[in-house]
Amino acid sequence: MTEQIDKALAREYEAGFVSAVESETFEPGLDEDVIRRISEVKGEPEWMLEWRLKAFRVWQEMEEPDWAHLSYPKIDLQSVSYYSAPKSMKDKPKSLDEVDPELLRTYEKLGIPLVEQQMLAGIAVDAVFDSVSVVTTFREKLEEAGVIFCPISEAVHKYPDLIKKYIGSVVPTKDNYFAALNCAVFTDGSFVYIPKGTRCPMELSTYFRINEQNTGQFERTLIIADEGSYVSYLEGCTAPQRDENQLHAAVVELVAMDNAEIKYSTVQNWYPGDEEGKGGIYNFVTKRGVCHTNAKISWTQVETGSAVTWKYPSCVLKGDNSVGEFYSVALTRGRQQADTGTKMIHIGKNTKSTIISKGISAGKSNNSYRGLVRMNPGAEGARNFTQCDSLLIGDQCGAHTFPYVESRNPSAIVEHEATTSKVSDDQLFLCRQRGVDPEKAVSMIVNGFCKEVFKELPMEFAVEAGKLLEISLEGSVG
Amino acid sequence: MSEWLQQAIARADSIQDGFEDQRASSLALLKDIQWPTRKTEAWKYTPLRAVERSTAIFKEESPELEPVAVEGLEFLELTFVDGQLVSLPEELPEGLTIEMQESSLFATIKPERHVFGLVNDVLAADVAVVTVAEGVAIEQLLRINNLLSNGAQGHIRVVVDIKAGASLKVVENAEGQGASLTTAYTEYQIGAEANLEHYRFALQAGDNVAIGGSHFKLLEKASLNSSIIGFGSNLQRIDTDIIHAGEKADAKLNAIYLLDGTELFDLHANVEHAVPNCTTEENVRGIAGDSSRAVFNGRIHIHRDAQKTLAELNNRNLLMSNKAEINTKPELEIYADDVRCAHGATIAEIDRKALYYLQTRGVSRSQAQLMLSFGFINELIDQMPTAELAEWVRPIIRDRFAQMEVK
Repeated sequence: MTEQIDKALAREYEAGFVSAVESETFEPGLDEDVIRRISEVKGEPEWMLEWRLKAFRVWQEMEEPDWAHLSYPKIDLQSVSYYSAPKSMKDKPKSLDEVDPELLRTYEKLGIPLVEQQMLAGIAVDAVFDSVSVVTTFREKLEEAGVIFCPISEAVHKYPDLIKKYIGSVVPTKDNYFAALNCAVFTDGSFVYIPKGTRCPMELSTYFRINEQNTGQFERTLIIADEGSYVSYLEGCTAPQRDENQLHAAVVELVAMDNAEIKYSTVQNWYPGDEEGKGGIYNFVTKRGVCHTNAKISWTQVETGSAVTWKYPSCVLKGDNSVGEFYSVALTRGRQQADTGTKMIHIGKNTKSTIISKGISAGKSNNSYRGLVRMNPGAEGARNFTQCDSLLIGDQCGAHTFPYVESRNPSAIVEHEATTSKVSDDQLFLCRQRGVDPEKAVSMIVNGFCKEVFKELPMEFAVEAGKLLEISLEGSVG
Repeated sequence: MSEWLQQAIARADSIQDGFEDQRASSLALLKDIQWPTRKTEAWKYTPLRAVERSTAIFKEESPELEPVAVEGLEFLELTFVDGQLVSLPEELPEGLTIEMQESSLFATIKPERHVFGLVNDVLAADVAVVTVAEGVAIEQLLRINNLLSNGAQGHIRVVVDIKAGASLKVVENAEGQGASLTTAYTEYQIGAEANLEHYRFALQAGDNVAIGGSHFKLLEKASLNSSIIGFGSNLQRIDTDIIHAGEKADAKLNAIYLLDGTELFDLHANVEHAVPNCTTEENVRGIAGDSSRAVFNGRIHIHRDAQKTLAELNNRNLLMSNKAEINTKPELEIYADDVRCAHGATIAEIDRKALYYLQTRGVSRSQAQLMLSFGFINELIDQMPTAELAEWVRPIIRDRFAQMEVK
């Protein structure tokens, strides 16, 4: 990240957002009134409120799913506050001296510049940098291309037709418990629209938009790539984010129209809780994309954070010749639990999907791959290839694979493979013989293990993801 | 709760006298159980309509039925008709005993989670206990026949205790006529350094409903070689559990299913590695034609202490028709790090290139299809240790293919 961008971030943070909503923080509890108030604070039109209320009523009838290989105390949704304005300046740490030194050490190892460190640690940085220029050039460039990239709450006002048409079209309100909850109470998120035949001139990232920072709890993202367009979207950042929220229930919807391509990359590194499993984020995310004819959606994720991860980025391959991809690295340590994977629903002819999942478990953690590949009767000539590899580090962790494979078309070919192994003594021995210390050696081996996924990430991300794994693995060897 | 289950419980209540602790606790569990639905993981792809609608009754009098003959083999026959034990072998080789009595192993190897296993606990009238004395090798095959007459309901249960160093060969043979309904569970304890060669044939197709399981507990250095061959029926469900309870035990499971018409076949294989240094090899192949539906669930669970485990599962399926359906779910659950585990699953149609190749050599398309699909499963039949059984089952399978071909 360049210094200029940091400046931009700091600047944008100082502007607009805080002043707009600092007045309100709701008391804990969830009922129709709370939803009405959220909608009111956002100044939403009536139809949006109706949509939220409908979702809320559906949600009330639903039960929390318990099929995942996870164990956590029941979440009391009545004890959560559903709307909180960003922390005011005076609540925040005044300087880096007040921030957990452990966090700072991690930033240092990741090579994050000082200004960025302050931002990540949630320090009240006054806008001392003149950075208007960066924001403007960035906005101008997108506008020139006709790309819409704005907070979803803004899009509700500015582009109601697009929102009405597409919100809930990929993940219906009644899809699942957490998605329904999100529909009812989502506070903000990103909206992206790429016009026909346009190649988005830059990689879009939530990271550019500081106003994302405190809306993480019930975030909602909608990306529409119109015919023949292309966009690459990055979510998250490699540095651990200081965050007090316990529960994250986000929804991401992608629509790839004919011949369009969406590449969605995530690095998730929320606070995982301490070694004993105290604290940490519960991350329950519903991500899904629909591919029309000849379209392609590619999900790449590096999951290293959160105490509990429940996440299955999926592709509905509706159009003929559409392509779905899922590349994932999930690393758990301490007492983290991850149940993550993907769903590939083949509906159109000659649809293709590839799933590469790498799970690494260390410490006392549990890491599960859960996936579904479904070939519908019309999926003539469809093809899927799935590979799930698990690596165990230490004898107190667990690695699990739960793939569902369903085929109803004889000309469709489905292949699933899974292996589990540990870091081999031979490989370690070879490295040590060459003078590499054991910790470094393990990290090298793990990096090699994840290579297939890292190569799918945008370059800067890939470098940082590698470093991130290295840091996460520290102390796991021995 | 389904009416069928309520009737089963009522019947169990009426014959309850003389239940030992184990059966009484099964009855208590059964009274609390949730009737499986699509949301029950173990029954996700297998609807129980066929059970709910079954009209099969407990018959007062059953016709005389004979099990199918196998050329070149004389079995020690243990025959049940409509759930009642009708014949025991007249003479038993030394070291082999069959008694009708309570066994301490009863319901200890079969896991409690099976609804129909619990039904079987309380409704199986005659529990046969087969014991092989220490160090004795029984050469002759023991065949357990579960025969059902048209419209009959029957529940059978056999417990097999193979003592240390002994060996036994068992064939489980089910033949159900018409709209019958059965649950058939067997529990095997394979002692230290003992050996079991096991077959389960479910070759009856048609209207019948057959639910059952073969459950194995392997003690130290025990070995198991099991082959399961099933055709579908209205509802055919087999659960198998292999529990490695002693170190250096070795298990091999080959399973085949061949489905036609509107048949349904569901195989759940669960392997528990509870101790270190054991090995498991599973090969499962299936073919689904016409409008049939195949379900396979293969779970391998490596417990925390089970270091140095070697476990492999391979499931390959051929889907022959646009209306057929295959659902497979190989699962790994691993809590130990120094293990080598892998599983693979594929679903596809017959290799078009191979078909083409045979056609260029003058083989008709239908003949080529037959050859290729037969070859696909013959590999596993070839591995059956008793050659006579392989010889016997091959033409039956060939006929099955020919039948599938006609449609």
